[in-house]
Amino acid sequence: MRSGSLPDPRWGLRATQAAVFVLLVAAWEVASRLRWLDPFFFSRPSSVAERVARWFASGEVYVHIYVTSLETLLAFLVGSLLGVGVGFAFALSPALSRVFDPYVKVANAMPRIVLAPIFTLWFGLGILSKVAFGVTLVFFVVFFNTYQGVREVDRNVLNNARMLGATDRDLLRHVLLPSALVWILSSLHTSVGLALVGAVVGEYLGSARGLGYLIHQAEALFDTTGVFAGLVVLAGFVLVVDLLVSSVERHLLRWKPPSHVEEAL
Amino acid sequence: MRLASPPGTCAVRLQGCRRSFRTPDGGVYVALDGVDLEVRAGEFVALVGPTGCGKSTLLNLVAGLLQPDAGRVEVFGSPLEGINRRASYLFQQDVLLPWKTAEENVMLGLVFRRVPREEARRQARAWLERVGLRGFENRYPHQLSGGMRKRVALAQNLIVNPEILLMDEPFAALDVQTRQLMENDLLRIWQEERKTVLFVTHDLEEAIALSDRVVVLSAGPAARPVGEFPVELPRPRDVTEVRLDPAFGELFRRIWELLRGEVLRAFRLAP
Repeated sequence: MRSGSLPDPRWGLRATQAAVFVLLVAAWEVASRLRWLDPFFFSRPSSVAERVARWFASGEVYVHIYVTSLETLLAFLVGSLLGVGVGFAFALSPALSRVFDPYVKVANAMPRIVLAPIFTLWFGLGILSKVAFGVTLVFFVVFFNTYQGVREVDRNVLNNARMLGATDRDLLRHVLLPSALVWILSSLHTSVGLALVGAVVGEYLGSARGLGYLIHQAEALFDTTGVFAGLVVLAGFVLVVDLLVSSVERHLLRWKPPSHVEEAL
Repeated sequence: MRLASPPGTCAVRLQGCRRSFRTPDGGVYVALDGVDLEVRAGEFVALVGPTGCGKSTLLNLVAGLLQPDAGRVEVFGSPLEGINRRASYLFQQDVLLPWKTAEENVMLGLVFRRVPREEARRQARAWLERVGLRGFENRYPHQLSGGMRKRVALAQNLIVNPEILLMDEPFAALDVQTRQLMENDLLRIWQEERKTVLFVTHDLEEAIALSDRVVVLSAGPAARPVGEFPVELPRPRDVTEVRLDPAFGELFRRIWELLRGEVLRAFRLAP
């Protein structure tokens, strides 16, 4: 009886989530049509949907998606590689970490947005300045997690590997790197998210292409429909990226015991 | 397969070893002082003593993970420098790599010795079977029970065919039944391979049931061996049945007389 009326509890959840979406969009549409909301400032879902459909039909949106993806990917890769490298160096050399500690702290505390104009000057209006901006965001997250991951390796685990005959290189490859990877992966959602923020904010501040540029353009023309359409495309983009990250994470951390939180969900 | 060293040669010799540590408040704590100890090749020696008496420190000296401040450590007649390559070390804690399967964990020592993957995998399978874990090759450590993880660690230690096996309270965290099964398995494998074993425990019954000789360490600081008792119980032994032997009880009483004093001393000295 129970399985007959409720085939899968997740279906109920999905249905409720969809209902919330439909309700909000319908309320927005109705309010806009009845002029409770001024369409000039608030647009309306049907116009936004129509605009998004037109962008995809004409194909003009693809170049913007491509540019933003490229910037995100590059910022993520460069930031992660630098973060892992410097994180390892600091963790393995206490002298290095002691000397540079205050610099790292200050650099991390600095609001990164102030760097955007300088990067535009240095790297121009193309994708490089956005990548550089994203790198400054991604680097610190990956750096701190790598540093922590290497420092947290259990002494006994290291000694055990040493007793089994591991050289320093073996330790790095079989113990330290995988151990740091756990920490790096746990911040994967954050660092990919920050790479995207870097790309979009960079575009917003000055560029000729990208989803941030699209939104900025629409805003400059007081085109609220365009702004919302840009947001919708961006939201879809974020969702796809997040799903990709989740599947990569699941694959790489398949050895991990499921956490209690996940079990509860 | 490497032949065991001829019986009677000295596998491990500590002479006048002293080791101290810096305490967090800037002082110096002398864990071991004036330690003399000899372990013959093929001998199973159990080291007992009150908690905090420096048993693990002594084991770390033999392993080469720590260096003595004074005195010398010799392995098969030559002074030990760096890690002891002729020994393996079964730790009290869980030291399996959680991102590697049981089989990959057991292979580790061979991978470090650059044994080809396929050969290493074949030997790892054989060792997992010997410790009773056939069919669990592809499990990750979190999918195994505490006793199974200890078996994997034991296989991981034995696959490199060490001449000396150092064990630091390896079964302390296991429940009584699992523990006795593991002890019997250890004895069976030791009987077949005749490794030199230095086994640290705070459980006197375990020490007597397993070993050829029980060495009692004094309470710290500056702990040192204060008594040696040969165990002349017949082999092969079953750790559960051997406890019923009248000679076992007699030996237990004699060692406990000495050990009790040290335990009480450690208890009074404890902060």
